[in-house]
Amino acid sequence: MAQVTLSDVNKAYGSTYAVNAVSLTVEHGEFVALVGPSGCGKTTTLNLIAGLIPLSSGEITIGDRVVTDLDPKDRDIAMVFQNYALYPQKSVYKNLAFPLQMRKLPKDEIDKKVRAAAAVLDITHLLERRPRELSGGQQQRVALGRALVRDPAVFLMDEPLSNLDAKLRVQMRSEIKRFHHNLDATIIYVTHDQLEAVTMADKMAVMNGGLLQQYDTPANVFAKPINTFVASFVGSPAMSLIPVEAVAKGGETVLKGAGGWELPLSAVNQRKAQRSTSGKIVLGARHSTLQLHRTASPGAVPGKVYTVEPTGDVTFAQIFVDDAVVNISLDPSVIIQPDEPVWIEFDQDRMHLFDGETTMALEAA
Amino acid sequence: MSTIAETAPRDQARRRARVDGWRWGGRVFLVVMLLYTALPMIWMLLTSIKSGFAAMQFPPQWWPDEPTLASYQKLLDPQNSVGQDFLRFFWNSLFVSTVTTILSVIVAVPAAYAFSRFSFPGRNFLFFAVLLRNMFPAVIFLVPLFILMRLLGLVNTPYSLVLTYLTFGLPLSIWLLKGFFDNIPIQLEQAARIDGATRFQAFIMIVMPLSTPGIIATAIYSFIGAWNEYIYAYTFLNKNDQLTLPVGIQRFFSENTTDFPGLMAASFMMSVPVVVLFLVLQKYFVRALTEGAVKH
Repeated sequence: MAQVTLSDVNKAYGSTYAVNAVSLTVEHGEFVALVGPSGCGKTTTLNLIAGLIPLSSGEITIGDRVVTDLDPKDRDIAMVFQNYALYPQKSVYKNLAFPLQMRKLPKDEIDKKVRAAAAVLDITHLLERRPRELSGGQQQRVALGRALVRDPAVFLMDEPLSNLDAKLRVQMRSEIKRFHHNLDATIIYVTHDQLEAVTMADKMAVMNGGLLQQYDTPANVFAKPINTFVASFVGSPAMSLIPVEAVAKGGETVLKGAGGWELPLSAVNQRKAQRSTSGKIVLGARHSTLQLHRTASPGAVPGKVYTVEPTGDVTFAQIFVDDAVVNISLDPSVIIQPDEPVWIEFDQDRMHLFDGETTMALEAA
Repeated sequence: MSTIAETAPRDQARRRARVDGWRWGGRVFLVVMLLYTALPMIWMLLTSIKSGFAAMQFPPQWWPDEPTLASYQKLLDPQNSVGQDFLRFFWNSLFVSTVTTILSVIVAVPAAYAFSRFSFPGRNFLFFAVLLRNMFPAVIFLVPLFILMRLLGLVNTPYSLVLTYLTFGLPLSIWLLKGFFDNIPIQLEQAARIDGATRFQAFIMIVMPLSTPGIIATAIYSFIGAWNEYIYAYTFLNKNDQLTLPVGIQRFFSENTTDFPGLMAASFMMSVPVVVLFLVLQKYFVRALTEGAVKH
């Protein structure tokens, strides 16, 4: 049983925190993605778990052992690196055998395990080659093989797919998912690509500026983003965010745009809007929840078409509402032109309201 | 279409002509450089197999009339005094150079690794401080170092030279090796440490083999520097039985008449270890200078 727990983990470089008070628990057999933009602290967090860099404060446990001060070699982990980090002077066979040799296993047992791992990953025919003679996808498999040959408690993966071309990436994505399923392995996976996180992980930890923003299942993160950062980071195209103000009008609370338009709210959404102490609100909506109207209609806000991107089965349009860009998906049969005036209708049940000051999601409570 | 078909070959021909011009220029340059570097060596070799009389003739004998190996026999014969001296100088030089080389690798490798991988207070300052010595002509340190060696009681011992050559050779060795270590992705060590190696094991088993070309280049550099050095050896050592080859060979001049064939034979044999080292390790050395990196 290898549960991984981070309790109040900090990593400071001088006065800047690369990782700031991160606490999370990865259950045994879970696939957790650490996701966020460059420099958000996700790789640093992974290196802290691996023991490659020391913590400034906090505690990390793997299984029932506190590993905070243990060497990487004593943590019973395996890691797959972005650049694969295969030993260039060793053959594939020796790359796979290295972790076992370091653990002083008998030769015949090493041979058995190396060949078993090679068979699982379909790289048996490559065993005598050097890493530089392999393609990117093959190197990736060898790197995975070197991780799994030892049967570690936890797999750490640092952007393992980002050096592959787009097609191979999709293929390896499903292979890693399958790998997780077959091995019942605990995997902590770092990526900057929210799509990888959403498609592969059981849970995703969204990080920004060293802080853990939200830690939940991809479905929950997608449906209930905790703040505007998570809202705009997860999902493609990104959630549209429009800064508005909550104003009282005839006993009701309505949203008022910078351009003067007003949007009436449902009862639940009114209660949410009232919780913003400053009255400033960010209105969020995903592209698929929006309705496009070509004439003014009640409950719709005015905008102007900026670009139209047909992709075949769905057409994406970017529409300016005041100064905010709103992404909307349309049926390909709908033909609109840039600069055309349009009206956008929001789905009251699936719109998001965030506090304009704190950026946190507003709850009806 | 037709215009493209007409102009393309002519265009290509012109480009090829220009490339050929450069290539020929390059060849001529290389030939001139080759003659410039090789002719003195060839002349040295030719003179060394002449008799003492033939070496002094004018106009010179371009090709020795009666080639003889007498000079070599004399130098390598432990029975006569010249041979005894020469062989002792040779041994002294070999000893000083080898000890310098070994120590310089032992010191430079960890130092360069530390500069490459660790961040510690004063790292940049120290790194440039290491180079400070190289910003001054070596002679400037002659007297201070001599005084220092006398205080240490090292004058007239080979260790005074070993210490001196170390301080001269180390800066460049450290710079060269640091470049090598910088080019080895840190993830390789991290992978090794996760795979069960200690930091030291990761260094020995993964980093060292990958930086062999750099280490060899550094070693050759130290060896040649120590092997050829003259002025310090001349100053620090006075006893005949301690002299190194450059100073020892100079003795051939200082006697009443210069034995040119003997001098040239000694010079030739002095260059043998360097040439052999170079030939054997050449592929590493060239790789070190041109590539300086591990490809991935």
